[in-house]
Amino acid sequence: MINPIEINDLYFRYITSTDYILNGINLTVSKGEILAITGLSGMGKSTLLNIICGIIPHIRKGDIKGEARLWGRDIKDLKIADISKRVGIVFQDPDIQLFSPTVEDEIAFGPENLMVEREEIGRRIENVLKIVQMEDYRYENPNNLSGGQKQLIAIAAVLAMEPDILLLDEITSQIDDYGKERIKGIILNLKENGKTIVLVDHNRDILKLADRILELKNGKLSIKGW
Amino acid sequence: MDFIELKDLYFEYKRGKPIIENINLKINKYEITAILGPNGSGKTTLGKLMMGILKPTKGQVNISNMNSSNMTLAEISSKIGYLFQNPEKHFFCNTVEEELGFALRFNGQDVDYINRRVEELLILFQLEDKKGNCPLLLSQGEKQRLAIATILINNPEYLILDEPTTGLDSHRKSVLINILKELTKKGIGMTIISHDHFFIKELSHRRIGIHRGEIIYDKRS
Repeated sequence: MINPIEINDLYFRYITSTDYILNGINLTVSKGEILAITGLSGMGKSTLLNIICGIIPHIRKGDIKGEARLWGRDIKDLKIADISKRVGIVFQDPDIQLFSPTVEDEIAFGPENLMVEREEIGRRIENVLKIVQMEDYRYENPNNLSGGQKQLIAIAAVLAMEPDILLLDEITSQIDDYGKERIKGIILNLKENGKTIVLVDHNRDILKLADRILELKNGKLSIKGW
Repeated sequence: MDFIELKDLYFEYKRGKPIIENINLKINKYEITAILGPNGSGKTTLGKLMMGILKPTKGQVNISNMNSSNMTLAEISSKIGYLFQNPEKHFFCNTVEEELGFALRFNGQDVDYINRRVEELLILFQLEDKKGNCPLLLSQGEKQRLAIATILINNPEYLILDEPTTGLDSHRKSVLINILKELTKKGIGMTIISHDHFFIKELSHRRIGIHRGEIIYDKRS
């Protein structure tokens, strides 16, 4: 069976750095698995997610060695447009992700670019806003929302693309307790629907959702104990 | 000693949709005050009003008994250090080292003093090996640590910190708690806006809850 994510002996160094931030990563993630990656800040957790979604090497360049495969195909050989049809990433900083004049436009942007039918986009907007309980903000400018509300809209925008793999980079850092509980429910529901999830977090409540927890330290992954 | 006083404070972006509604509050200079509340309750807006980044629609903010509407942002920021929720809003220099030293260079400080302070803060926030890096290319946790360091280098009398633990791992969070406790011992008080219960429990003397722009509780530890 072909796994959604397979990484073999992966090394990566940013052009601006002399040191490799990833130093021999080996990782397999199965369909329907929730994998959590933890580690100190600056250890390369977000870098690894950026490789899995193709931002590295397609948009951000650097020295990359080894293999990173999605469903058996090397990410280097896939077009970023094709990767984004099946892999969604919620960035750590929602301000990077949100750029549209209204919440509705923001959520519609991904499906529109995937050539989803107009009626279906409307259905998805209603559905994802209901999931994150932000229906009242549909016509608001994302810039006027609070930090936590922006994170909820960034999550909704990625859910609307209905990806098979979701990469979640510290997505609850500014969200209140009630919102965190909702996000936990969303993650478990995605797993039940066969989605593959890789999440990076420092929050134990979120890490507890994972089937496996790995620690990224000095460029390598190892099993994390509490 | 009351340092910041909010009098009948009211703020709205859109007419008839108040974000802050009739808040009256006196904040002690030497304490750690926590502002808590759900997403969208007005916490960040309240912090920006306290700092003078936003001007109230109605009511008044006094800082050291002076109406903040009559003070320039430069005057206020010589007393209060403000951490934005998004650390990137702090950065505009090419390297971490330049970013850290900017405020002191701008104030015409002696080069030896600037270099010493920059080095101290790089070590304190474990950013020594990042000093030549571009701030915008740091990890989120590193950006957060750098943003806090850029505020502290200016030796503020008071701090307003909006979600200071975002992106910080548990080790760096403990380091930050210790740094802030040390600052409090030196007489530097602060207002902290956060959802991080552990962080607030460790630090705060007073907790103020807001909901839909109004104070719903005001408790002391």
